[in-house]
Amino acid sequence: MASHGIPRHASLETTGEARQQELRKIEKYRDLELIVREQIAGRRYTHATLQNISELLKKNPEYYTVWNYRRQVLRHEFQQVASEESYEAEIDRIAALIRTDLQFLIPLLRSFPKCYWIWNYRMWLLEEAKHLLPNVVARQLWQEELALAGKMLSLDSRNFHGWGYRRFVVETLETLSPKEENQKNLTEAEFEYAKKMISTNLSNFSAWHYRTKLIQRLLSEKSASDEERKQMLNDELELVHRALCDPYDQSLWFYHQNLMCVFDPVKSGQTMLPNLSTTERLEYLQREIDRIQDMLDGAEDCKYLYQALIECTLLIARVEGTTPEGDQKQQILHWLSELKQLDPLRAGRWLDLELSLCR
Amino acid sequence: MAAGTLSAQKLYSEKHIDYVKKLDSRKDELEYWLTEHLRLNGVYWGLTALHLLGCPDGLPREDAINFVLSCQRENGGFGAAPGHDAHMLYTVSAIQILVILDAVDELEKRGLGGKQKVGSFIAGLQDQNTGSFMGDEWGELDTRFLYGALNALSLLNLLDLVDVTKAIAYVQKCENLDGGYGICPGAESHAGQVFTCVGALAIAGRLDLVDKDRLGSWLSERQLDNGGLNGRPEKLEDACYSWWVGASLAMIDKLHWIDGSKLAAFILRCQDPEAGGFADRPGHAVDVFHTHFAVAGLSLLKFEGIDEVDPVYCMPKAIIRKIFSA
Repeated sequence: MASHGIPRHASLETTGEARQQELRKIEKYRDLELIVREQIAGRRYTHATLQNISELLKKNPEYYTVWNYRRQVLRHEFQQVASEESYEAEIDRIAALIRTDLQFLIPLLRSFPKCYWIWNYRMWLLEEAKHLLPNVVARQLWQEELALAGKMLSLDSRNFHGWGYRRFVVETLETLSPKEENQKNLTEAEFEYAKKMISTNLSNFSAWHYRTKLIQRLLSEKSASDEERKQMLNDELELVHRALCDPYDQSLWFYHQNLMCVFDPVKSGQTMLPNLSTTERLEYLQREIDRIQDMLDGAEDCKYLYQALIECTLLIARVEGTTPEGDQKQQILHWLSELKQLDPLRAGRWLDLELSLCR
Repeated sequence: MAAGTLSAQKLYSEKHIDYVKKLDSRKDELEYWLTEHLRLNGVYWGLTALHLLGCPDGLPREDAINFVLSCQRENGGFGAAPGHDAHMLYTVSAIQILVILDAVDELEKRGLGGKQKVGSFIAGLQDQNTGSFMGDEWGELDTRFLYGALNALSLLNLLDLVDVTKAIAYVQKCENLDGGYGICPGAESHAGQVFTCVGALAIAGRLDLVDKDRLGSWLSERQLDNGGLNGRPEKLEDACYSWWVGASLAMIDKLHWIDGSKLAAFILRCQDPEAGGFADRPGHAVDVFHTHFAVAGLSLLKFEGIDEVDPVYCMPKAIIRKIFSA
């Protein structure tokens, strides 16, 4: 009902063997569904019920109610264990139940990496582990999830479920590893991971986004001085300038825009370096403009360069607390005329900008 | 914008109407049963598409109301189909359908505990600490649910059941430096999530919090040379983003920052001219989800022959006007 990327076929054969086969499949599916519903309605939270639930979910992992049934059965199993055995045996048993269930999800995630419900169920299961198991056991389970997130992202490096899951795991690991030192190590490891993903594919904006967030965490966790923060900014500018030897990549320019927010008096509070002086901001921005103008050589048809030039020039005016006048304004109008030629899809945006300058 | 006059390809309205009307007669296809978990959403998508295509009576009204009510659970929320668990996503669709059919009073007559009970179900899913909303009792968090809650509660005139100020503070935490919004604080900007966050701000009357130039720029960069829109940088186009991106642009008065006629032409290429319906991309299999959002996208572009859609609620504009003027 919400299919993505499936080629259109001629309509299904409606008579003969194909139709009979389809009807048999429907009957089998609905029979299984009916059995599961009856088992749950009768509160028969047994191994057999769990098996049927697994079968049904393999046929239809989008069936969210059945994932809820699975939660009910698992909760029941957890409770059973608690009432019957010694504490150590109880922990082992619950950990084993959770591990088995985590394992069950792997092939489903591989086949349906964009299915919300599977990811949700996995998160729920790990939350249960956090509540039911001693910290050290739970942490082990959560730690292993980083590898899974890595594997899923190696299959599709833009899967936002995968990135979201990774953030979720890291955040929880931080609460499970209360020592400051561990947190720092974790952030550094994640920073390395984002770096690796970027070097594999410079266009991966998900990884650049993660990098933006991690830099701030890294700096705040080590209570970095303004000098250290400035060093970080310089390194990032150098990195993105090197990457921009291909100036046609939109992801890189959005990262560049993130960095330029450091110089924006309105946005700087949300960036890695909130405390630059006005003079320093203006120096940085002017150097940026010079550099981008150099990039234009041989890439005169690259619209992103003109956009960045305009952005930096408008920022200069904002830092100075003025509106662009004289040469500044003429420059912007010139770049705008290039943009109108190169980027007619967004003609309305360029026209609005022009009008705002000439008001 | 009058995109319709500029486009070479025509809109096969009759085919699409026919496609939607016949969706419920496909019980001999396994796919029909495998998608039961979307049924109530599907009725909302189909019904809205029919309205926008000028066929408001395309689904039998009584049957539709009966079906909606049959999906309600004891806690007041709605599941996707009878017997399915209650969830925010279907509860919102249920309310939208009842509003479109002018049948909200059926909740008092035949529903469980009237609209107040539905409102309590939704309000019960708000996290008191963060202001965000869960999808159901199992705790999934997503700005989709926050938008859905404000959407349905405002339609029921029950917004005062929740802490709107806290919800809006949460939305702001989801904002990124590019002006866009993610699924939760820290997440990458995503056009679908931009729609839900901007929609929530619109319902709360707080569009002043949006960095319109920055967000408008990011959204306008979603348009690719083929005219279609993607959901994030360096991703492929998809007809449903005509809505997520287009409606977000419309809410911040920047819809003219993309090329409407090229977008309309792309959407039209996603039609199945024979069997009706729209797909994510040209030549792909159609479904009611993409059909709804493609038609709604054309409506935003004021395409000839399509009724006006409300960019905040994704429902016929005339109905939204009526409900909020009452």
